[in-house]
Amino acid sequence: MGRQRSLLALILGLTLVAVVLIVQTPARLGLDLRGGSQLTLLVKTTDAVPTITPEKLAAVQGVVENRINGLGVSEAVVQTAGENQLLVQLPGVSDPEQAERVLGGTAQLDFREQQRDTSAQVLGALLDDRRAIEADESLEASEKQTTLQSANVAIATLFEKTELTGEMLTDAYAAPVPGGNNWEVILVFNEQGGQAFADLTKNVAGTGRTLGIFLDDTLLSAPTVQVQYAENGITGGRASVTGRFTTEEANELAIQLRGGSLPVPVEIVENRTVGATLGQDSIRQSLYAGIGGLVLVLIFVAIYYRLPGLIADVALIIYATLTFAVFALLQVTLTLPGIAGFILSIGMAVDANVLIFERTREELRAGRTLYRSVESGFYRAFSSILDSNVTTLIVCGALFWLGTGLVKGFALTLAIGVLISMFTALTCSRTLLLLVLSVPSLRKPELFCPNLPPNLPKNTPSTP
Amino acid sequence: MALIVASVAAMLVSWRTLGAPLRPSLDFIGGTRLQIERDCDVAACDDPIDLAVVRDVLADQGLANSSLQLLGRDREALSIRTAELDVDRRTALLDALGDSVGPLDSTALQIDTVGPTIGRQIFRSGLTALLVSFLGITVYLSVRFRLDYALFALVALFHDVVITMGVFAILGLVLGVEADSLFIVALLTIVGFSVNDTVVIYDRIRETSKINPTQGFDNVVDAAVNQTLTRSINTTLTTTLGLVAIFLFGGETLKFFALAMIIGFILGAYSSIFIASTLLGWWRERSPLPLPEDDAEPDVPERDRFEDGPDNKAVL
Repeated sequence: MGRQRSLLALILGLTLVAVVLIVQTPARLGLDLRGGSQLTLLVKTTDAVPTITPEKLAAVQGVVENRINGLGVSEAVVQTAGENQLLVQLPGVSDPEQAERVLGGTAQLDFREQQRDTSAQVLGALLDDRRAIEADESLEASEKQTTLQSANVAIATLFEKTELTGEMLTDAYAAPVPGGNNWEVILVFNEQGGQAFADLTKNVAGTGRTLGIFLDDTLLSAPTVQVQYAENGITGGRASVTGRFTTEEANELAIQLRGGSLPVPVEIVENRTVGATLGQDSIRQSLYAGIGGLVLVLIFVAIYYRLPGLIADVALIIYATLTFAVFALLQVTLTLPGIAGFILSIGMAVDANVLIFERTREELRAGRTLYRSVESGFYRAFSSILDSNVTTLIVCGALFWLGTGLVKGFALTLAIGVLISMFTALTCSRTLLLLVLSVPSLRKPELFCPNLPPNLPKNTPSTP
Repeated sequence: MALIVASVAAMLVSWRTLGAPLRPSLDFIGGTRLQIERDCDVAACDDPIDLAVVRDVLADQGLANSSLQLLGRDREALSIRTAELDVDRRTALLDALGDSVGPLDSTALQIDTVGPTIGRQIFRSGLTALLVSFLGITVYLSVRFRLDYALFALVALFHDVVITMGVFAILGLVLGVEADSLFIVALLTIVGFSVNDTVVIYDRIRETSKINPTQGFDNVVDAAVNQTLTRSINTTLTTTLGLVAIFLFGGETLKFFALAMIIGFILGAYSSIFIASTLLGWWRERSPLPLPEDDAEPDVPERDRFEDGPDNKAVL
């Protein structure tokens, strides 16, 4: 009985941990449930850029992230998808009109010169303002966007355009500063760009004025040029931007610069937007559906399978708890199809129990003892449960690898559900059932199977 | 059989009238769907939305052949399916609608725009997923059982998928129900569950034929089907219960998703018994396997496992 005890303790412990996990981790809801906008961007090829490599896609991603920042949407996410697509998620955006206008089109990178009658202090103050707005959590997205926009415009008026643009930048990459802990960003220009850069740096060197690097009219970086370049400017077509950059900061700037130099247009090819109240309706409806389905199943199982049915019900509730805990643990984003996948996996979990109990009944009818019937019910049902679950997992795998967004969510929740149902049906149901069998007054075959033949198994201890 | 013929016929009719075997959603062919709702806090909305007014607006915008559908209990919401709209045209349309039918609730807006390229991509990946899972299941069943078991299971799967598609072809013709990417998910899930049912019976057939190797294969199949019948019915019932709950309370998006699966699961239970198993019995009666090959069963026999005693864990 010792093994049963420790299994029971394990199940109880797991369930407790699961409950704590569920309570502590807020559910991650997909945009179709919390409301928001999901845009798919297609990065198009051009004659100059005939293929989109992963590096180029990452560079364009940097550009898109830069544009998203200007929108003031909190928790916005940009991910790469496939070979040439970017997925943009904007939680809480009911009308993505602004985002769509900003996100499409080719990146515009250019280098500008700070106007002669302005000082570095003015620029510094404006940049501090912009940082404050970006960090301000209390602002509404639309408000944040307008203030950010005016801050960017204010910054841009300090600079005047030069002939140096992104097409003349051939490469940008992050590199550690020799002999230091900081990182720098190396810029490489083509011949024409090198000349323009030399002119630009000659103008600002030693004046305290900066040269501004702008991506889509937003200032990325405003380095000053040291006085020793005042005579000829930085020549040779190579330059480095130093500052107190960490590795990440240097990489981010380099990626944005590379993206800005890529003349690839970006097109919005898919737009899925769900208003916030619609999302709430969906949550309510699927909650009803989930609970309704679960209750119906619980009642059916308890009535049909009697005592083992009740135990299966307990195992099912443990199953639901564990599954949600795993969702929380793996940070699964719940979408509408995802919830449907979960409700379906309840069906799978019941199936395992049904297989076991049907087997137990057969053994009882064949005249075996209660204990032996329960044990062989579990053993004999095992191969069926394994085979049927593996086939479902094959389908889930196909859906997950080949499917798109919503389909993936469905496959993932169903697969997690199926895996956990194997555990709960084979371990929880079994341990609980054996526990019940240790209570003499519950050791009655008729609690397990109705209409048993009158020649009851002889060695069943049916009296307490 | 009659059902398969009827389903294929329905898809052919659908092909003639709609140009596709099922009414395709914008997921596959591209387009824009807008779902709008009047803001009843701002404006009085005692009357339902007047579709004639909406049609006028659409005609003004050059979108006369769009399809409209009123939604919601009070007919306060409207779904419009048009050709693919870019930001400017969409905003213009929404503004015009706001002016003519009353202010719209911006938090209840739903926009789905899919470009034709992406649509083809979604369709292709869905179809590939379906084929890959067919292949995966065939391979798995051939390894666990035998190739002929796998092929008959596949026949049963085709039966389920074709008839479900047939029902949706009819629904598409009669009610305008569209096949979207969730429909492909439903088909795949049906495949998973149907093969599930088949596997349970196969498992029983294998076990029974090992206990009684001399028995005719027909009888073995009969016994196996009878022994698993309650399980098949109960499992289909419990899974369908959950789906019926989604169908009734799950909202517009999931309604037909659930319906497709309800149809498919019931078909799956049917086809496992009457197609996969029956065909297998018929086939093995005609061409019984030579005995030596039976011994070369790739799997550990069930009884061996059991004889290891109760301490041998069946737990994962």
